[in-house]
Amino acid sequence: MPGNEPEIRSALADGTIENHRPRRIKGASDKHTLTPPCQAACPLHMEIGRYVDLVAQGKVLEALQVIRDGNPFPSICAYVCTHPCEDACRRNQVDKPIAIRALKRFAVEFGGDRMIQLEAETTHTEKVAVVGSGPAGLACAYYLRKLGYPVTVFEAYSELGGMLRVGIPQYRLPREVVDTEVQRLIHMGVEIKANTRIISLDLLLDMGYKAVFITVGAHQSIRMGIPGEDSPGVIDGATFLREVNLGLRPSLGEGVGIVGGGNVAMDAARAAVRLGANNVSILYRRSRTEMPASPDEIEQASEEGVKTMFLVAPTKVKRENGRLSVTCVQMELGEMDAGGRRRPVPIEGSEFDMQFDTLITAIGQAPQLSEDFRLRIGRGSTIEIDPVTLTTSRTGVFAGGDAVTGPATVTQALASGRQAASRIDDYLRHRYPLASREAEESSLGELFPKTIEMIRRVERLEPPFLSPEARVKEFDAVELIYDWEAAVNEARRCLRCGMGAEILFQDKCATCLTCLRVCPYHVPYLDDGGTIQIPAEQCQACGICVAECPAKAIVLRKPYDRRHIEAELEHVLKSAAELKSRTLIVGFCCQYGLFGTGALASLWREGKAGIWIVPVLCVAKLEERHLLRAFEMGAEGVFIAGCGDQCSRENTAFWVLQRVDRTRRALSQIGLEPERLQTFNLRSAKEDVAEALDNFTQQIAGLCLASIVEQEVKS
Amino acid sequence: MIVAEQKSVEEIRRVIAPYDTVLLLGCGTCVTVCGAGGEREVSFLSSALRVAQTKSSDAIHSLVEYTVKRQCDFEFLHVLVDRVKEVDAILSLGCGIGVQVVAERFSEIPVLPGVNTSFMGMTKEWGVWDERCTACGDCRLAETAGICPITRCTKGILNGPCAGTKNGKCEANKEMDCAWVLIYKRLEKLQELEKIRRYYPPRNFRVIPRPRRIVVKAGSEPGEDNG
Repeated sequence: MPGNEPEIRSALADGTIENHRPRRIKGASDKHTLTPPCQAACPLHMEIGRYVDLVAQGKVLEALQVIRDGNPFPSICAYVCTHPCEDACRRNQVDKPIAIRALKRFAVEFGGDRMIQLEAETTHTEKVAVVGSGPAGLACAYYLRKLGYPVTVFEAYSELGGMLRVGIPQYRLPREVVDTEVQRLIHMGVEIKANTRIISLDLLLDMGYKAVFITVGAHQSIRMGIPGEDSPGVIDGATFLREVNLGLRPSLGEGVGIVGGGNVAMDAARAAVRLGANNVSILYRRSRTEMPASPDEIEQASEEGVKTMFLVAPTKVKRENGRLSVTCVQMELGEMDAGGRRRPVPIEGSEFDMQFDTLITAIGQAPQLSEDFRLRIGRGSTIEIDPVTLTTSRTGVFAGGDAVTGPATVTQALASGRQAASRIDDYLRHRYPLASREAEESSLGELFPKTIEMIRRVERLEPPFLSPEARVKEFDAVELIYDWEAAVNEARRCLRCGMGAEILFQDKCATCLTCLRVCPYHVPYLDDGGTIQIPAEQCQACGICVAECPAKAIVLRKPYDRRHIEAELEHVLKSAAELKSRTLIVGFCCQYGLFGTGALASLWREGKAGIWIVPVLCVAKLEERHLLRAFEMGAEGVFIAGCGDQCSRENTAFWVLQRVDRTRRALSQIGLEPERLQTFNLRSAKEDVAEALDNFTQQIAGLCLASIVEQEVKS
Repeated sequence: MIVAEQKSVEEIRRVIAPYDTVLLLGCGTCVTVCGAGGEREVSFLSSALRVAQTKSSDAIHSLVEYTVKRQCDFEFLHVLVDRVKEVDAILSLGCGIGVQVVAERFSEIPVLPGVNTSFMGMTKEWGVWDERCTACGDCRLAETAGICPITRCTKGILNGPCAGTKNGKCEANKEMDCAWVLIYKRLEKLQELEKIRRYYPPRNFRVIPRPRRIVVKAGSEPGEDNG
């Protein structure tokens, strides 16, 4: 194809030929998988599908490894990420999205993220200064350090973390988590200069820093611009949260009003509740649908007793007798504004007064930059940068985080810090900026309605929360962690977008239509040219067509999925051979169920004499040759144990029984008793697997004895 | 499509018994589609034979697996030339045609059948195949509404139905549709019932001298050197 590539490209562009192959991840280790929507939506492009699948298998350490590869501070994200991945999750089209953030929290806690120590070697001499120690600054420092640069982080406040420390309340992000990450950076050799406000960049450059990353955040609250805004008792949200987060307990009084509808307003309201205010009202000038705060936050605030008044805006504040009298006006929604939200319009003559002890304003924040930085400033006092190189108007000075974007999420800031690190590396190494992974999008569209219909509905499991009564008293973390079983079951709901089957060998395909007939999800189809197509964006990766294809032309996209049964089986057979174990029984057990149900976990742990377990990621992927291979290598009996009705797939039991039937037929033709192959726990999980297995073991022992006697008699 | 069925492992073990190294040769066309002799079945058979060997103390064969796209043309068999030198026999999982073509191509070694070639038919649903054509060489489907009485009527009669039809089923098998009732219903639907009111004289069985050969190229006489 390289020869006529330009023609093909132009034909693709004008639609003369249709591109059946969706785009693949560039530079990714696994060329065959497609970018799933969750990964495309993540600012950090984390391999979410991979770690969710590893959690489903109970492989928490491996899951943590995948998470750490894509995220500098997974523990922080596990608490505060706004999870755009869950909004993009295609399970939304079926029931509810996978609880990705909660699963990450599970992996981070059970995998022992805080125990991990990192080392970094200095391989370059160019010093880099990071101004601001928020998530973007810390991420940039982390990656630059990993690349081998000496890095110094400057922070104006006494403690590091920026908004992580002074913006986000403790009940959402415990301080120890931030401390752990800072300690880890210090251990890696990042130099920290707290209580150091940078006022001039020239000075920094004079000190020998070859590159500077400005990430000072957006800490300056925007003013409402109404009379009486400066009265005592009126405080801005950023200052209020900073005071609370630095350990002060400002006295607020009973009645507290919050102006605004974003996450800062929610944080301020919930912090006020925890400080003892028992009448907290949020005043928001639009309606609930327009509210920018995350739905979970709104929900949790309302559980804690925060009242929200919609379509209300303050117009005047007056201080009388030690209290605040706030004049408000009712609003109605008018035309769409530039941001696509409906513009609130005051209703004339609808003014009314409200009484508060304290009024907290949280209608937005902007960066505050020293004049002496001499950087070009753009819209909303943010720093203007080149979108590709991330450089500011000054050579060697880069910027990122909220200071560039205006208030955004922690994950976006981390992504910006990571990107800045690689751009600074490019700059210092005199390289042209390399094409980044960030630019890629998911090519997976909507699921077919008939596919959605066939996907089994499985309820989303939420992690446990502290009760509203318990949480309003203190600033303890609100969300608790999944237990093992809940995490495994939640992770199993993943639809494995983009990891499904593909016809790898079109020349082998006999167009027999087996895949089309066996697919429980109606995914394969015959195109007008008479070629079978398995649209990657629809496939649910159950593996049934792979096992049934008579031409062996279909494979799963992930190389690991292709070989894992063979690899596990050979490993078990080798181990058994080394131990010279007799009356060997090989059990192919659903690995999801193995950890999920706990029933098989005990078998695994006890390791009963002569019973060897091959963990399988869904027994529907088992083929006859696997079963026969076990017998060939000396197994006297083979069993298959599924996960019963917990299975998140369709038709698993049917296909297992088909293959068992074929294998038993072959066994009896060879002269072996078909009872040597058994299935447990295929359709329901009620069966007591341990007991059934005991009976099976006895039966096999009996058959062995009989055959030994028979041979003796013959000889 | 040609439909075949894999022979029992027992029988296959018997026929390969005298040979040390056996090539299990699949075919990637009809027998793949009907699940009798494609790559998957080759692998299944090979596994089953290996189990049989470990479970009995019989002769140990060494088994080689390979699947060609089609066994019924010499050109597809060319890739086997070197492999065949290493083996003592070929067990072909192709249809009867495949077995013979392989035998003709590799005349020096025994070629054994691994499937029973059953009929020409269609996939009814996954795992079910039905016979549809007997290759009689004298097609009458135009008169019988596209339903072949020669294949689908147990008696193969040309003027049906016979007296053995009951509730639309055949007396020979109560599960099986009477082909002539199907023909009648479809002709009725096509408003061509006059076709069933005619008498069709018996077929001339002498028009089928076997083996048959079709020659479409000009300038050669049919019937020479056939086989």
